[in-house]
Amino acid sequence: MSQALHLPAMAAPRPAPTPGYWSMVGRRLRRDPVTVIFCLLMLAIVLSAVCAPLISPFDPYKESVILRLKPFGFRGHWLGTDELGRDILARILYGGQTTLLMGICPVIAACLVGGSLGVLAGYAGGWVGTLIMRTMDVFYAFPSVLLAVAISGAMGGGMLNGMLALALVFVPAMCRVAETATTQVRNLDYVEAARATGAGHLMIVRHHLLGNVMAPVLVYASSLVSVSILLGSGLSFLGLGVRPPIPEWGLMLSTLRQSLYVQPWVCAVPGFAIFITSICFNLVSDGLRSAMDVRLK
Amino acid sequence: MIRFALLHSFAVAAILVAAPARAQGVLTVAMTAGAIPVTGGNPDQGFEGFRFVALNLYDALINWDLGSADKPSVIKPGLATRWEVDAEDKTRWLFTLREGVKFHDGCPFDADAVVWNFGRYDEKAPQWNPQQFALSRAYLPNYAKIEKVDDKTVAITTKIPSSLFPYEMSYILMTSKCRAEALKYDWAALAGQPSGTGPYRFDRMVPNERLELIPNKEYWDTKRIPKQDRLVLLPMPEASTRTAALLSGQVNFVEAPTPDAVPRLKSSGMKVITNTYPHNWAYQLNFKNGAFKDVRVRRAANYALNRADIVELLGGIALEGPANYPPGAPLYGKPASYKFDLVKAKALLKEANCVPCKITLAISTSGSGQMQPLPMNELIKSQLEAAGFQVTLQVMDWNALLALTRAGVDTAPNVDGINVSRALLDPINGMTRFMQKAQWAPQGGNWGHYGSDEAEAMVKAAFNEFDPAKRDALLVALHEKMVDEAVMLWGVHDINPRAISPKVQGFVQAQSWFQDLTPITVAK
Amino acid sequence: MARTILLRLLYALPIGLGVSLVCFMLVYIAPGDPLQTVLPPDANAEMIEIVKRAYGFDKPLPVQFVNWIWRAAHGDFGLSIATRRAVSLEVFGALANTLQLAVFAVPLSFLVGAGLGTAAACTPPGPVGRAMDRLVTGTAVMGVSVPNYWLGLVMVIVFAVELAWLPASGMGNNGSDNFSAFRADDLRYLVLPVFTLAMVPVGIIARTTRAAVLEVRGQDFVTTLRAKGLSEWQVVRHVLKNAAPGMLAVMGLQFGYLMGGSILVEPVFAWPGSGTLLGRAIVNRDVPVLQGAILVLALVFVTTNLVVDLLQAAIDPRVRRG
Repeated sequence: MSQALHLPAMAAPRPAPTPGYWSMVGRRLRRDPVTVIFCLLMLAIVLSAVCAPLISPFDPYKESVILRLKPFGFRGHWLGTDELGRDILARILYGGQTTLLMGICPVIAACLVGGSLGVLAGYAGGWVGTLIMRTMDVFYAFPSVLLAVAISGAMGGGMLNGMLALALVFVPAMCRVAETATTQVRNLDYVEAARATGAGHLMIVRHHLLGNVMAPVLVYASSLVSVSILLGSGLSFLGLGVRPPIPEWGLMLSTLRQSLYVQPWVCAVPGFAIFITSICFNLVSDGLRSAMDVRLK
Repeated sequence: MIRFALLHSFAVAAILVAAPARAQGVLTVAMTAGAIPVTGGNPDQGFEGFRFVALNLYDALINWDLGSADKPSVIKPGLATRWEVDAEDKTRWLFTLREGVKFHDGCPFDADAVVWNFGRYDEKAPQWNPQQFALSRAYLPNYAKIEKVDDKTVAITTKIPSSLFPYEMSYILMTSKCRAEALKYDWAALAGQPSGTGPYRFDRMVPNERLELIPNKEYWDTKRIPKQDRLVLLPMPEASTRTAALLSGQVNFVEAPTPDAVPRLKSSGMKVITNTYPHNWAYQLNFKNGAFKDVRVRRAANYALNRADIVELLGGIALEGPANYPPGAPLYGKPASYKFDLVKAKALLKEANCVPCKITLAISTSGSGQMQPLPMNELIKSQLEAAGFQVTLQVMDWNALLALTRAGVDTAPNVDGINVSRALLDPINGMTRFMQKAQWAPQGGNWGHYGSDEAEAMVKAAFNEFDPAKRDALLVALHEKMVDEAVMLWGVHDINPRAISPKVQGFVQAQSWFQDLTPITVAK
Repeated sequence: MARTILLRLLYALPIGLGVSLVCFMLVYIAPGDPLQTVLPPDANAEMIEIVKRAYGFDKPLPVQFVNWIWRAAHGDFGLSIATRRAVSLEVFGALANTLQLAVFAVPLSFLVGAGLGTAAACTPPGPVGRAMDRLVTGTAVMGVSVPNYWLGLVMVIVFAVELAWLPASGMGNNGSDNFSAFRADDLRYLVLPVFTLAMVPVGIIARTTRAAVLEVRGQDFVTTLRAKGLSEWQVVRHVLKNAAPGMLAVMGLQFGYLMGGSILVEPVFAWPGSGTLLGRAIVNRDVPVLQGAILVLALVFVTTNLVVDLLQAAIDPRVRRG
């Protein structure tokens, strides 16, 4: 996917937030109709995935030999049935759990690992910083899709390996964002002052750095969720992610593809779900970025 | 069954009309393989590699008779015109070689050529080639050594006496010594200039994409000189890609269309042909640990399968397979019948005191001969559970499953069955490798270490019986024994669907994994 | 300038080395047996040993790595396990096919994207301008959000299955070695994959162009130009010239991503490029091909970035100093 990871340059670090910063962000978000609408849509998607057991009209694993590959609306199967006669709507709902998990977990993991490495590199500087950042450069030399496919292919696929691969792909970018932010904050006057008054490293990092580094990392992380969803379902689509019969959107797309000439439009449904979800996360992330940008007043 | 009979009559009709004198048309085949099978000798890509590449470019000493759609395919003279076991020494076979045969590059075929080809199994010989060794040695479990008797005769010695040894020879393809020497044993180069004795010659290859073969007008079996102008082979592992290619006219012969696509293909005027062949979609079972050690549990599982539903799942393109061989196979006999019987299955499980009976089956997501592994396994799981089993499916990719299969039961004691479809072409591949102690994996194909003194004795008796009729009677008894013991959990027999354009004429689908494409013509 | 080039090249060298180490290790953390494809299911332990030895998989890992890197430095990536062809032939053959897609997809997406972006940034305020802006923003969001393998699938459904206008897959009836984009018959096979690949960068490029142009337009010299009485069209030309380095960077990045990123799109169209090769190598566990393909693709990516850097430095003195 060519869209992956093109953003770090845009997530430029910002000056230290003042008190009331977060309430300003909240105010700005509420005033942005596009973000509000898509945020609601996003919440609806997440909720319907979480509540799948409550709202799903059918069991996502229940097969039926006679109900295979039926069109939209056939006997209560609103979105038709797949090649095993399983209800597609049910599988989309349950599949949302897996797909969202594949979208969010790697980003969180990368935030923790990449973020800490970045802060360490930025704060320590010197040879430690150089070592960390140059190592990251090596991973940065791979196009993200290639790296994700190569790692999860090498590790033999599966959901856990897929998530691990995605996390590894995101770490270098996350590390850069955190490092840049840290370097900038480190040299600010009040941090210097804190150091001069004899504050410990841990103290400085906790009190002065983390708050400042959080914002750019958060913005960048929010933009990564949709990339992670796209890449994660891409891995499953290639057979390197989630294993059948677990419902997952990319995997559904891949198995339904064999029936392209039987129910062409039913085959396209899971991809549409990925598309919509990814749009939601992207727009919400965009909204968040502009709301958090202090340059825009 | 009606569908089956209809298909048969179609195949017969095809024989009657297939007699055009002039070569014509280009036959373009979409294979299921992911890449072009190895061209320089024994192929990879399983029996599809044999079917489309190796058996077209090469001959073995013994070939398969693929000329009939309604008789089981048997072996027939290939580059050897006759063979017999030495009356004094039952481990020594004499092969009389066909005279006047030349390889495509003009190299003469004689006893020296045969001996040279077997030199490929000697690590120290210049013609030893790791790829060819890997791809062919396993077909020769009983081979010990070869010697030239005279220009037209070779003698091959086996490790133990075996009346089934000729079958092993049908998988070993004869390549040109002159070509290998001319290329200084550069095997990569040889793949682009292979030389065999087969009905087709190599014309050109775009690696991974297409292989083009042209008729060998000097083929020794004049009846089998190809009737089309050119044979083009394209690897297309995706079923929907193959369907699209046939519908758009990019190819005119596709392997294994998915059952769901069949109505669409038929409505576009394509012909879908099927035939029974020695294949069984089954599970090999664990005889060392777990529930299947008990014959009652094995039988219960076999009774629990509603095979009619599985056939339905496959759109009717399969035969119920309650025994190892399909009815009508020469070695079928009168085996016990595992017709769907839920009551009996439950009773047997209760008797075996295995309720709920927990089992783990290792299955693959795809693979050669695996049909539609995921839907079928999901269905079978639900059928077994209805009878009182509790099934865990361990899903892995095809290569991982093969590795598990090769390593044998000792490396996976908690797996109770492996779903690997097997080719049952000959009695060794069809039965003895699953029943002999000598074949216990990792030494051979007996994954779950089945073994019983009676089976050992029966196999030995068959191996030592050199009168074909008497030997086959013993093998029929072995099949009945195999089914009675429920050595496997049998599912269905594939019937090998192929879809062809109406322009393709003269194809006779043999009851085999291999097929003869030479009689086909393609209308302009 | 020579100093810039030298510095950048020196910087790329350790990255190249690191990349090769990663490629090599990636494949060896893998479970499973690389010889699976060539071994039949019934192969016994003794036979597996012999084959392993013959393929060199019995040696210790560091020895294998040194051998590999030494040969790779000479352009020899070993032989494919599955086909026994030189890996370099496999990889460069596939890369050439992917390149066929990229040479059409990159300019197409760039022209459309840059056109849209410039138009959005340069239209005067008012309903037309706002609509244009919405269009670009919308396209950009769709571009970054669409799973391109699904887009390909939808293209196939519409144009190959339902309308039957275009072929669904492959590189035509003559094979890739005889493929020519100048033959109408073959060109038909290019349409769907190129379109699919181009759709995604269009959004990104449009957005970047719009941002770059807007930024330049806000700068003082533009006001000066206007004050000097230049026509709006001339102003746009100046603005574009100044926004070019930034756009060039994005384009180079997209080219690199297309080379690696087509792995998800190529299988949809059965296009015999690097993505398909990589997918097959993973399925077959064809270790030498996997290592070679990943290394070459990563190096293509590194090289593209390097070239873009240098080009940028050449046309923009500010970058050279930085």
